[in-house]
Amino acid sequence: MSAGPSPAGAGAEAELRRALGRLREAGRALRALSAREVLEALGDVLEEWRDAASAPRRALAEGLPEAAGFTRPVVERGLALALGGWSAEALRELYERELGGPGGAGGGAAPARLAGGFDVTAVLLAGAIPSASLATLLAPLALRSAVLAKPAARDPLTAPLLRASLARRSAVLGAACEALRFDARDDAALGAFLAADCVVATGSDATLARVASRALPPRRFVGYGHRLSFAALGPEAASGAALEDACNRLALDVALWDQLGCLSPVSLLVAGGARDARRAAEALAAALGRAEASLPRGEVGPEAAAATAHERAAAELRAAAGGRAVVHAGATFTVVAEADAAPRPAPLHRFVRVQTAGDLPGVLAALAPYGPHLAALGAAGFGAAGAELARGAAALGASRVCPLGTMQAPPLSWCHDGQGVLLPLARLADVEP
Amino acid sequence: MPRVSRPDPERAELDRRVRAWMSEPFAEDEARFAALALELFAFQFERCAPYARFCEGRGRTPVTVRAWQEIPAVPAGAFKELALRSFPAERTCKVFRTSGTSLERRGALPLDTLEVYEASLLPTFERFVLPDLGAGERTSFAILAPSPGEAGESSLSHMFGVVVARRGSPRSAFYVQGGRLLEERLLPALRRAAESGEALALCGTAFAFVHLLERLAAAGERIALPPGSRAMETGGFKGRASERSQAELYGDLEERLGLPPLRIVNQYGMTELGSQFYDSVLREPAAPRRKLGPPWARVRLLDPATGEEVPSGEAGMICIVDLANTGSVLAVQTADLGRRVGDGFEVLGRAPGAEERGCSIAADAMLAAGEPRGAGA
Repeated sequence: MSAGPSPAGAGAEAELRRALGRLREAGRALRALSAREVLEALGDVLEEWRDAASAPRRALAEGLPEAAGFTRPVVERGLALALGGWSAEALRELYERELGGPGGAGGGAAPARLAGGFDVTAVLLAGAIPSASLATLLAPLALRSAVLAKPAARDPLTAPLLRASLARRSAVLGAACEALRFDARDDAALGAFLAADCVVATGSDATLARVASRALPPRRFVGYGHRLSFAALGPEAASGAALEDACNRLALDVALWDQLGCLSPVSLLVAGGARDARRAAEALAAALGRAEASLPRGEVGPEAAAATAHERAAAELRAAAGGRAVVHAGATFTVVAEADAAPRPAPLHRFVRVQTAGDLPGVLAALAPYGPHLAALGAAGFGAAGAELARGAAALGASRVCPLGTMQAPPLSWCHDGQGVLLPLARLADVEP
Repeated sequence: MPRVSRPDPERAELDRRVRAWMSEPFAEDEARFAALALELFAFQFERCAPYARFCEGRGRTPVTVRAWQEIPAVPAGAFKELALRSFPAERTCKVFRTSGTSLERRGALPLDTLEVYEASLLPTFERFVLPDLGAGERTSFAILAPSPGEAGESSLSHMFGVVVARRGSPRSAFYVQGGRLLEERLLPALRRAAESGEALALCGTAFAFVHLLERLAAAGERIALPPGSRAMETGGFKGRASERSQAELYGDLEERLGLPPLRIVNQYGMTELGSQFYDSVLREPAAPRRKLGPPWARVRLLDPATGEEVPSGEAGMICIVDLANTGSVLAVQTADLGRRVGDGFEVLGRAPGAEERGCSIAADAMLAAGEPRGAGA
């Protein structure tokens, strides 16, 4: 099996049905292994992927720029940051945190709660950020569920590379993960794909709605939608070296994956006045200017270029109309200092608004309209008030609050979209005494 | 009571000359367009301070601008935050606003007169939507949009109101009220038209058409509208949860209402513009479908990076220079992409099945999609 060319027409449906049949067999073999054995094997695979010199990391660095449109330095740095903490130990901790240890899944003494995966989990991948795809594919495997993956068009590499890693470590694991490309608009093929016992889909709200309408109960459906993230700057980082450090960190969060990930901040909310926001915008523009050399931006399609040009011109007009905006425009980035924190379009591709939010309650008020669409809030300079900020952001819907500079490095255990990692994919059974 | 300033004589003269062109048979006239555009630019530069400062920032003033193509275009999004008018505020008689959710600012076009707006819209609509009707001949309109009385700030409703008043038969009606498609009135009207053989002009937003078609599909009903019937849709689906392509919409219109694609016209317009553009198919069914507009409005397709016109056939940002915008700013840059097709252009949508590179949602798309789930009642 490979993520080769898309099977055409009726061929795709038949190929998917055959793959599902193979995976049901492979899943049985997988579940014959203990949960501990599977976790150890997956941990070894993660350790391989953490190594920048490993085969999958080299393949991604070489192949992803052409497929996904990111530059090689962005791919290399993004993966180094994202996978740095994804160790075998992190996987074990995740399992214990959510399921109470591998013993609960079948080994050892009779547990009160049994946890296992579905026979086969179909995973519909989207986007071009390989670490996100890797995490989505590993989760069902950790539950000893076989995986049938549809790779994203812009990242055809991660799924087959993972399968190769799995096969090198364990033939059983390798056989339990297949990736097939097909046209999701092919209803028959999509139907065959969604015949798996559990369906995980990533993508836009429209994509999730379409898949969810086909993945009906008793089939389990888990969706991860498109989200957006913000950064916040507190008074303790409003000037001087602290401001420069915060903006250097934020520039990294923005530059990685060209601001296209759900963890990429679209706006910096400054808990201060308009003067603070202008100062922060200036520092951020300088930092993004420096990042242009080390992390060059990748391709920008005509639609995104038009959106950027439009928003840049709109900001310039507002600036001309009375200084309510200040525009810092680089060759590959735009930073706009805004005198308020009103919702405005975010063209992405390294376009950041630095907005005046007044104070901490102002930051939360600015986040409020985005509530259910929030992913992460990166913050710096709030000191002891950081806990209040985190509680407020979480109450609004953010599933992650983290320091600036780490937004693109979520822990393996990050509760993506406010859900657990393994729990949503698990079949649980309570055994009462 | 606020004091109302006297009419600006220079503006009145410009309006008179623009309206004179609008009252004549359609004819391209480059010299006339260039002269009026440059005069209007100079006038607006003088009267609209934010625009003047914007132009100065780009080194473009009435002294330096020598060709209409050099007139700086304001981004359409700026109408959400700035009152871009070239007349004193107290002379405002009408404000058209863009549609939007409570989360986002709505674009606003203040007007001190509706004469130029109406003088522009009617002949253009007649030329591209009613080309087969005789002069003064009326037809029955079914408008899938709220009436101008209900939606006083909607330029689209105002346009439909003008069209129905001037070219509509007594059976014409508006079928959206309180944000709801009045199926219980619309469906009988469609059936009556099918039975009587009287041609119908169905006009409205694409989203309203989708509701109608879904209703017909749910009931398994097909209504064969009589020959001579037509549809005009506008608005698209950007940001909507249930996106569908124009081809799908037109296919459904043919299947459910018997309207072949050559009888369906898409309008490209926006609140910020006084003129509109329409598909060519009713006028030139044998020629490639493309957008055409009146001679007093020109379209430029620009490279987003350089601001220069793209070579013919390549995609560029749609920028419109519209002499009907006498009271605001005549050059408006959109974030839409278009491509030149013959003497017209086509608006480029997202390629069907195209996948995104990231998992972030642009804030404008999120805001356009409406209220966050679970928010409010």
